[in-house]
Amino acid sequence: MSSVTVENVSRQYYPLLGSSETRPVSGLVNVSMKIADGETVSVVGPSGCGKSTLLKVIAGLEPADSGRILYDKVDVTNISPQARGVGMVFQDYALYPSKEGEDNLSYYFEVRKKTEEEKQQRLKEVAELMGIGFDLLMGRQVDTLSGGEKQRVGIARCIVRDPNVFLMDEPISNLDAKLRERTRTEIKRLLKKFGITALYVTHDQQEAIFMGDRIAVMRAGQVVQFGTFDELYYSPVDLFVATLIGTPPMNVLPAEVQGQSLCIESVEMSLPLPPELVDKLPAGKLRLGVRPEGWLVNQAPTGGIPVVVTRVERLFTERAAFLGGQIGRLFVNALVALDFPAEVKQVFLTPDWTQAHFFAADSETAILTPGVPDLF
Amino acid sequence: MSLFPLVGRKQPRMRVAWSLMNILLWLGIILHLIPFFIMISTSLKPAAEAMAMPPTLWPKNPTLVGWSLIWNISDIAKSLLSQPLSRYFLNSTLMTLGTIILSIPVTSLAAYATSKLIKGRATKPLFIFFIGTLMLPGIVTLIPSFLLTRNFPFPLPVPPNIPGTDIAFPTLRIWNTIWAVILPAGFSASNFLLFKGFFDGIPDSIINAARVDGGSEFNIFRRIIVPMSLPVYAVTTYFTFGGVWDSYLWPLVVIQDSAIAPLTLAIRRISDAFSGAGTTSTMTALGASSAIAPLVEQGLSWNGLMVLGLLQALPVFIFFIFAREYLLKGVRIQGLK
Repeated sequence: MSSVTVENVSRQYYPLLGSSETRPVSGLVNVSMKIADGETVSVVGPSGCGKSTLLKVIAGLEPADSGRILYDKVDVTNISPQARGVGMVFQDYALYPSKEGEDNLSYYFEVRKKTEEEKQQRLKEVAELMGIGFDLLMGRQVDTLSGGEKQRVGIARCIVRDPNVFLMDEPISNLDAKLRERTRTEIKRLLKKFGITALYVTHDQQEAIFMGDRIAVMRAGQVVQFGTFDELYYSPVDLFVATLIGTPPMNVLPAEVQGQSLCIESVEMSLPLPPELVDKLPAGKLRLGVRPEGWLVNQAPTGGIPVVVTRVERLFTERAAFLGGQIGRLFVNALVALDFPAEVKQVFLTPDWTQAHFFAADSETAILTPGVPDLF
Repeated sequence: MSLFPLVGRKQPRMRVAWSLMNILLWLGIILHLIPFFIMISTSLKPAAEAMAMPPTLWPKNPTLVGWSLIWNISDIAKSLLSQPLSRYFLNSTLMTLGTIILSIPVTSLAAYATSKLIKGRATKPLFIFFIGTLMLPGIVTLIPSFLLTRNFPFPLPVPPNIPGTDIAFPTLRIWNTIWAVILPAGFSASNFLLFKGFFDGIPDSIINAARVDGGSEFNIFRRIIVPMSLPVYAVTTYFTFGGVWDSYLWPLVVIQDSAIAPLTLAIRRISDAFSGAGTTSTMTALGASSAIAPLVEQGLSWNGLMVLGLLQALPVFIFFIFAREYLLKGVRIQGLK
């Protein structure tokens, strides 16, 4: 195990000769990140944001154009992936198709010229770790395994070497929902048990939240924000992070601060601001962000923003319901009780000012966020 | 299978179409097999029956005289073939194996490199350079290629002098050696395309996984990629085998010495002797040519040529039988069906 430090790493891709595009495309732009020993970091972001590239650069599968990668205090920037001692799990499993399960794990020992005893010893340990039924997978031809079984072999192949760093590139996104849940828990268990330093790349924020001790949000080759879930949720640095984290996403309403009140633009309606916010907010245009649970929902007109209810989505497993509606032409979501009556056609929403986010109107920067609440 | 839908085959129209398709396919099979049948049947006939009019479908008294005469042809007609037939067999085998041993690794490594290792701007020009050799018909490059075998790397009959001296440039002369057949076939653009098409389909993540496991690039190729790619290796080896074993024009141009000539040249020589002597007319005309007179006397005519044809075809056929499973898989991969 070791800590991983990424220092100002950039990576560019050059288009092929003869293609119409001539400018290089940025894969990573000045990415810096420090992953503590034994920590799991989730990297989340939309596709093409560079999260897989970051993983490959850390593994040494792609060179960094500039910047440094350190494992503990050792600079590995110019060390080949073969020598870095990382373990990697891939979205498409990447098992060696012409080999049986066990041979997939053996390849490491074969190329490292390890003894047969050492290999058998490790295989036994791994089989115990991976739990019931894992031995059975070892004897089977890879193409007869199901997706979940393949990924179990993939994970085993990765831990059999006792890796310095565990890198996972969307390891469970090809599995069906139930299996995804199970594999996710299993990976989490393994990570906790060994305290392996791990980087977990995913496009699914739920997964990122579940797996990661900390979460790095990436966008267009840059790490926008790096922190715990609470930090990302309660103090997003910008609108991108704010809308990425949380389902359904945060509702964003263009507004304008006018003296003591906030004017919601799409309905031309003023809401009185609490005095503590008036001091902190600059006058003029901005954007108000309210999470679905950050609304105070009223069925009677009590000075809230009128919303035309378009649907009520009941989540029976969560014992809650989401109310979907429109403010002018904008769609909003609000969290309501599971037994919220279906026949209601209009509700009035008031932001819970302690949970309201404010973003600049022209840029996406956050002006004011509620901050992590003191729960305990 | 998928030519006809699984559901609705029992409809009368479908049944008619199905039967027609069957009849057509069987006709195709029979058409392909008739020449082989005639070759086998003729090779078992005595000389006179082989030329009888009307021809018999199957010999009245099958005999192996044609086979034994052909095998010993150099003893009976020394002026026709200076070397025993087995020698030409051996030459063909050497050329074919030599080409396979050189060309398959060279071509597949080139394809792997182009497909997986060389990333970035150079990929496309390199690819075009490789397949550029496909864009000219072989016949166009025949003479330049021949000249290159004389004084490589100069396509000239006589190497030029080093400027300012009377000394000729040192050149590689492979003309009239079996290397003249093997070396130019060391890279095959069509096989390159087959290999590249297959390697392109291998996900990068498998190679990355092997890298992370610690395999060197060559070890990954040898231990991971090659075992995955056996079908495409079977197809390309088969194509190379057939191509070199049956090649005639190029060996004719670059090989003069009959001691190293392949079987195809020997067969052509015998066949020319027969047809030149008017084999097609009568047995008497055959006797007129001195070179093949002793052969004709002992009972050799078209039966012998059929034996030669079978001998030439047999190795490719045997190769196919052995590699059948992989070949069919490979053909499916290449979508040739």
